[in-house]
Amino acid sequence: MAHPTQSGFQDAASPLMEELLHFHDHTLMVILMISTLVLYTIITMTLAKLTDMLVLDSQEIEVIWTILPAIVLTFIALPSLRILYLMDEVSDPHLTIKATGHQWYWSYEYSDYENLEFDAYMIPTQDLTPGQFRLLEADHRMVIPVESPIRALVSAEDVLHSWAHPRPGIKVDAIPGRLNQTTFMASHPGVFFGQCSEICGANHSFMPIAIEAVPLPHFENWTSLMIEDA
Amino acid sequence: MLHLTTGRVGSLLAQRVTAALTSSSVRMASHGHEVAANEDLSQPMYWDSTNVPLPDRRYKVTLSSEDERLKQKEKGPWDQLSKEEKLALYRLSFSQTFSEMNQPSAEWKTVVGTIFIFLGLTGLIVWWQKVYVFPKPPRTFDDEWQAKQLQRMLEMRMNPIEGISSKWDYEKGQWK
Repeated sequence: MAHPTQSGFQDAASPLMEELLHFHDHTLMVILMISTLVLYTIITMTLAKLTDMLVLDSQEIEVIWTILPAIVLTFIALPSLRILYLMDEVSDPHLTIKATGHQWYWSYEYSDYENLEFDAYMIPTQDLTPGQFRLLEADHRMVIPVESPIRALVSAEDVLHSWAHPRPGIKVDAIPGRLNQTTFMASHPGVFFGQCSEICGANHSFMPIAIEAVPLPHFENWTSLMIEDA
Repeated sequence: MLHLTTGRVGSLLAQRVTAALTSSSVRMASHGHEVAANEDLSQPMYWDSTNVPLPDRRYKVTLSSEDERLKQKEKGPWDQLSKEEKLALYRLSFSQTFSEMNQPSAEWKTVVGTIFIFLGLTGLIVWWQKVYVFPKPPRTFDDEWQAKQLQRMLEMRMNPIEGISSKWDYEKGQWK
């Protein structure tokens, strides 16, 4: 999660999010350059002592300040499209998990090998132990093996929800009657929190998602335990 | 229904006749297309402006006899005019000099002062809100909880690359 007063992105937990962070840096740099130029122009024009009363138009500069922004925009558009298409690549996932949104909790099904299903409700604020994260902790975490491509199929049972976590860079809408697919990979172990990102009723802010990426042996332990408990 | 009634015929004819007699093409055709005159019918004005420095008229319109004498002297060689006379002649023609026109005013003090007053008022309202309106924040905002939360974030290695966990030295148990 973000530390208090954090205004930038959280660290990336997947290669795709890393790409997005770099793209964001690149775009912000372009914006910074443009803003500096505009600010400089405003200041020099405001503080100029003399006024040219006879300037009506100038075709040359009009051409320049049309062509130049078009070029700058291609510099932004091409990396953006690259990442867009990168997102759509399916990379032979090792595991498929279905995440279904309900009012107001998520349910996960791991049906590749054994039928493993569980619900994940938010831990209410009054039930938190000191140090736990308010509105982010869930009673069950979606555990995945680290460094394995995972296919997530996202849908909803009742109304629109959205399965989103900033660190792996995932946001997939959960639409009733539709299966949306995304593939992602956790680059390092850890717990990645996310929150429902499509308004879905009274407790829309209170249905978080917690993904826990663990090494494969730990994952296998966990699945065995979960299946025993079921 | 589009019936050609008498009324409609009448109005159509009237429109045709009016156009034939008064339209701009008719008027243009009735004489040569030279412009008779470009008359500027505005009244001569005086102004002080750095953009348009030469106004329509002299500043002092009615001249005293002393001024008339100066004006006559101006018609001769200018190096015979003293500095005071040159300045007096300038003041006959213009109200302000360029440096007087460009003088800054004290307006900025009013503007900045008003900004601060409004900021202060806003601050007062914000403080009053905090004391009398807002409910108590959840227990997770207590200092003790925040400290435990930060501890937990570090233990869980959250944001370990460039974020918070990367700023903590795990071996020494202190911030880097």
